[in-house]
Amino acid sequence: MLSSFLAACTKDKEKVKAELTFPTAVSSTGEAIGGGTVNFGLISDTPFEGTLNHVFYTGKPDAQVLQFFDESLLYTNSDYEITNEGPATFEISEDKKSITVTIKDQVKWHDGEPVKADDLLYAYELLGHPDYEGSRYSGLIPMVEGMKEYHAGKADTISGIKVNDDKTLTISFTIASPSLTTGFWAYPVPRHYLGDMTIGEIVESDRIRTTPIGFGPFKVNKMVPGESVEFVRNDDYWRGIPALESIVLKVVSPSVAVSALGTGDIDIADVPADQYLAVEELKNVELLGQIDSSYTYIGFNLGKWDAIKGENIMDNPKLENKQLRQAMAVALNNEPVGEKVYHGLRFQASTLIPPSFPGYHDFDAKAIEYNPEKAKEILAEAGYKDTNDDGFVEDPEGNDFKLTFANMSGSDIAEPIALHYIQNWADVGIKVELLEGRLHEYNSFYKRIEANDPAIDIYQAAWGTGSDIDMKGLYGRNAMFNYTRWTNQKNDDLLAAGVSEQAFDTEYRQKVYKDWQALMSEELPVIPTLFRYSITAANKRVLNYDIAGGSKNGWDTVAVSADSPIK
Amino acid sequence: MLKFLLRRTLIMIPQLFILSVLIFLLAKSMPGDALTGQIGPQIDAERLIELREKAGLNDPWHEQYARWIGNVIQGDFGKSAIYQQKVTNLIGDRLGNTLLLSASILLVSYLIAIPLGIIAGRWTDSWVDKLIVWYNYLAFATPLFVFALIILFIFGFTLQWFPIGGSVDIQADKGTMDYVLSKTEHLVLPTMAGSLLATFGTIQYLRNEIIDTKIKDFVKTARSKGVPERKVYSQHIFRNSLLPIAAFLGYEITGLIGGSIFLESIFSYPGLGQLFLSSISSRDFSVVNILVLISGSAAIVGTMLSDLILSWVDPRIRVD
Repeated sequence: MLSSFLAACTKDKEKVKAELTFPTAVSSTGEAIGGGTVNFGLISDTPFEGTLNHVFYTGKPDAQVLQFFDESLLYTNSDYEITNEGPATFEISEDKKSITVTIKDQVKWHDGEPVKADDLLYAYELLGHPDYEGSRYSGLIPMVEGMKEYHAGKADTISGIKVNDDKTLTISFTIASPSLTTGFWAYPVPRHYLGDMTIGEIVESDRIRTTPIGFGPFKVNKMVPGESVEFVRNDDYWRGIPALESIVLKVVSPSVAVSALGTGDIDIADVPADQYLAVEELKNVELLGQIDSSYTYIGFNLGKWDAIKGENIMDNPKLENKQLRQAMAVALNNEPVGEKVYHGLRFQASTLIPPSFPGYHDFDAKAIEYNPEKAKEILAEAGYKDTNDDGFVEDPEGNDFKLTFANMSGSDIAEPIALHYIQNWADVGIKVELLEGRLHEYNSFYKRIEANDPAIDIYQAAWGTGSDIDMKGLYGRNAMFNYTRWTNQKNDDLLAAGVSEQAFDTEYRQKVYKDWQALMSEELPVIPTLFRYSITAANKRVLNYDIAGGSKNGWDTVAVSADSPIK
Repeated sequence: MLKFLLRRTLIMIPQLFILSVLIFLLAKSMPGDALTGQIGPQIDAERLIELREKAGLNDPWHEQYARWIGNVIQGDFGKSAIYQQKVTNLIGDRLGNTLLLSASILLVSYLIAIPLGIIAGRWTDSWVDKLIVWYNYLAFATPLFVFALIILFIFGFTLQWFPIGGSVDIQADKGTMDYVLSKTEHLVLPTMAGSLLATFGTIQYLRNEIIDTKIKDFVKTARSKGVPERKVYSQHIFRNSLLPIAAFLGYEITGLIGGSIFLESIFSYPGLGQLFLSSISSRDFSVVNILVLISGSAAIVGTMLSDLILSWVDPRIRVD
């Protein structure tokens, strides 16, 4: 049944309305030499921070270092749902409120100590600790039974976590939520290695900064902090001896990423989108791509945040007519933006759940298609007509109608894209101006969006959905991040249904989010504009490398067919 | 001399105080904080509110300032919100690299610029002079980030003589000769890129000074007394012409700790310039404030150094 489901996904994936398609796995088939070294390029303008622990790290560069030597106890499938194929297996209780994790016997830390149930408990103790300063005390963590008391310093232990024996533990939650299958924390922390330090000491300690241990396929052997790391094969890896002898990671500036790939200085690297055309010409690398969980959107300023009630209040009448929002959506021509500006790496978004969730994205949803004539019709129907012949519509009361559009600075293409959209709207008679005639710096942009600055009517931004399909945190009535402040009873019901006990049934859950995507396409508090590909390049000597979420290939299976990179 | 030093040091205290208030206020007036960039479904809004409260970001600015400056005076520079590390450790890690790179750029640029300036000044309007002046204007007009990329492409990628990035090879072990060699090797390209363009001021000043000094009365006197031409230059002209260069040395030393954002980024060389830039955009206030405070103090100290050097080489302006 699973295989037919996966097959259906692959077929669906072809329906994505992208001009380009990329494989997720390398196609090189040469024979693997025994051992070998792969050079991995960490493409970044800045050094990696070097907080090499899943509980404490903050930046994406650190996550890229972590992937080689540490992993989650529970692997996930392409929809980010936990499976039983990783270093541990799980079972969810009858009442759906607790999960029992059993760690496989052969799973060992790099220093030879077995990974114990107590190590996972230790991770929860760190995450919930009153002195913990990271952001990951979020999602399901505060929902662990007894966690709030522990976090407040009122309890010494977390009552909801029971270590049954060396290898199993049971974690109980205060609610039954299907987010358990996508948002469950399964990264243990070696208590025997770090346990004698306080949280403040751990974060500063060499034991996570320069000599961290994990139980992944490779061990950290040498490190030049912020610059490069040499990993060597972990012969005790629970899935067997990894194919490569070692992996060398080095930070490479985005401005030289393509050259470094071309000369074989690095074998594998993520390609910055603006260098796609250059990297495409290289003969010695293969390009892999997958659709990102991030998307770009245009949001409407519809109300304000009531911090005391913790609730969004939709009280701005200017844009409350959903026909107006629909007209503005179909007036947008995203094709040239994707084609000309992003060379096909971005393409018209169709719903608010990107295809990176193949089980949940509505592949049949018609993209909000460009249709200026339809836009004009909808506008006229909604009462927005040009009554003074200035080429722009007036509002239904006959007053001048003009919108301000906020955009972030930071790239060369931000302004042309904003002006393109403004032109699209002008074409159907909607007068839109760039907020204060210019772009705005990231932080000040978000500060004003968060505060629903009345000077802003619409804004363009982007964000990621993360791995949990639950959209309450982004679009819920009580979500502070729901910047448009749009609220709707049906939305409340659907989002609640999506995390209800019934939604443990995947089919039901898929239907809920399909309905939700339809609702959002009808109501359009935000217009999804662009989905995006992220591109990774791999030298043609690299074998068995697959970037797809839920892939069976890990760093342990990656091999090379030649001693040195193909130039 | 001691009195002069003492007076200058005492003046530094109010200067530093005003500087610290300014830095703090300017940093605070930037919109957003280190948590602004973390929005998304992975983090609960409640957690952000809790973290802001815990970090004291909601307190009035003077309370935050008092807390910060109190800690700074006691040597506690705080913790970076992004790196989760003590600012002292963070800066310490990068400072070594930055000092090494800047010192080597400064040294090499002097090694190039001083002889060139002297040659150009001595043989004014000769073809050598014209060549030097031409190079100098070209260097002045070339943007560093373009030049650094060109150097990297020629010597790093095409000829493959030098490593393309980083400060040291991962295989070299600390304390060995290999390590020193590897460090040096990694320094070559960024130093070349930085120093070849940094010669402008020195060559220009030196050349002008020599041309000016050449026609001064005391030089004429020396010549009429029959002092050999070589000695006229080495004893009379150069010594006087080096004065402005010496005066600049103090400021240059200040510049040492600034680091270079472009060089560090292109050559993936972890230094303070990058740290400064990324801390500003991520609103990592504790790091930004300390870096500005350090470079501000260095500027004040550098000015004092310049005065000291000047009074040492030029007895006319010596103070008691």
